[in-house]
Amino acid sequence: MTFTGLIGRICMFPLQLIINLCVRFRIHPNILTGIGVLINVAAAIQLALGHFITAGVIMIVANIFDFIDGKVAREIQEVSEFGGFWDSVVDRFSDIALFIGLIYLYSRLGRTDYVMITALAMMFAIMTSYTRARAESLIAKCKVGFMERPERIVLFMIGAFTNRMAAVMWVIGVLSVFTVADRIIYTYMMLRTPREKVAV
Amino acid sequence: MKHPVALPARILWNGFFWTHERATWQYDVMVIAILAFVWLTPPEWLGDPTATGSGPIGWILRFLR
Repeated sequence: MTFTGLIGRICMFPLQLIINLCVRFRIHPNILTGIGVLINVAAAIQLALGHFITAGVIMIVANIFDFIDGKVAREIQEVSEFGGFWDSVVDRFSDIALFIGLIYLYSRLGRTDYVMITALAMMFAIMTSYTRARAESLIAKCKVGFMERPERIVLFMIGAFTNRMAAVMWVIGVLSVFTVADRIIYTYMMLRTPREKVAV
Repeated sequence: MKHPVALPARILWNGFFWTHERATWQYDVMVIAILAFVWLTPPEWLGDPTATGSGPIGWILRFLR
C-alpha cells in the first residue's frame, strides 16, 4: 500500500462514522453541501485575520461536509443531477472564499506581490475546474493534471497549520497552471483522434 | 544507450503531463516533493509575509534534541 493510500484509509474511519450518523438522521446531502460552504466562509475570515490555526481547524470541519455529501447522497439514494450541479457550484464558492481571505490578508500587510500570486493561483484553480467541465461536454472524460480540489484543500490546511502559506500559494499556482495546460493538451489530442479510433 | 536524455525527459514530461491516479507510487513521490518544497524552503527565500518560527523541520529537530 502507498503512503497516501494509507493516510486515506486512516482518515476514512472517522468519516465513515459521520456518514453513518448523517444517513441515520437522513440529512439531505444538499443541506450538507450548503453548510460546508458557510463554514468555509468562516475559515476564509480567519485567514483574512491571519489566524491560521483557527482557519485550519475550521477548514477541516468544512471539508468533512464537502467530502461526505456525495457519499451520504448515495447511501440514502438521494443522488440527483441537481445535487451534482449544486455541489460543483458551491465548491467553487468555497475555493474562492479561501483565496479571497488570503488576498485580503496580504493586501492588509501591504504585500502586493503575494496579492498577485494568490490572485493568479485563484484564477488557475478556477480554470482547472472550468477546463474539465468544458472538456467533458466534448469528450467522455478529462481527468488529467495533478492539482485538483482535494489537493488544493489539503495544501491550504498544511499551509495554515505549519504557517507556510506563501510556499503553498506557489505550489497551488504553478501546479494549477500545469493542470490547466494538461487538460487543454489532452482535450486537443482527444478531439484530433478520429471518433472510430477512440471507440476501439 | 541510444538516447541518453530520453529517461530524464520522460520523467519531466510525466511530471508535467500528469495522468496518474491518487494512491499510486508516482502520486506519493509528487506529494513528498511538494511537502519538501513547502517545509524545507526557507520562508525568507520566498519573502513569506506571515511565516514565523522554524516551521515543521525546526519542530522535529527540537523534538530530537
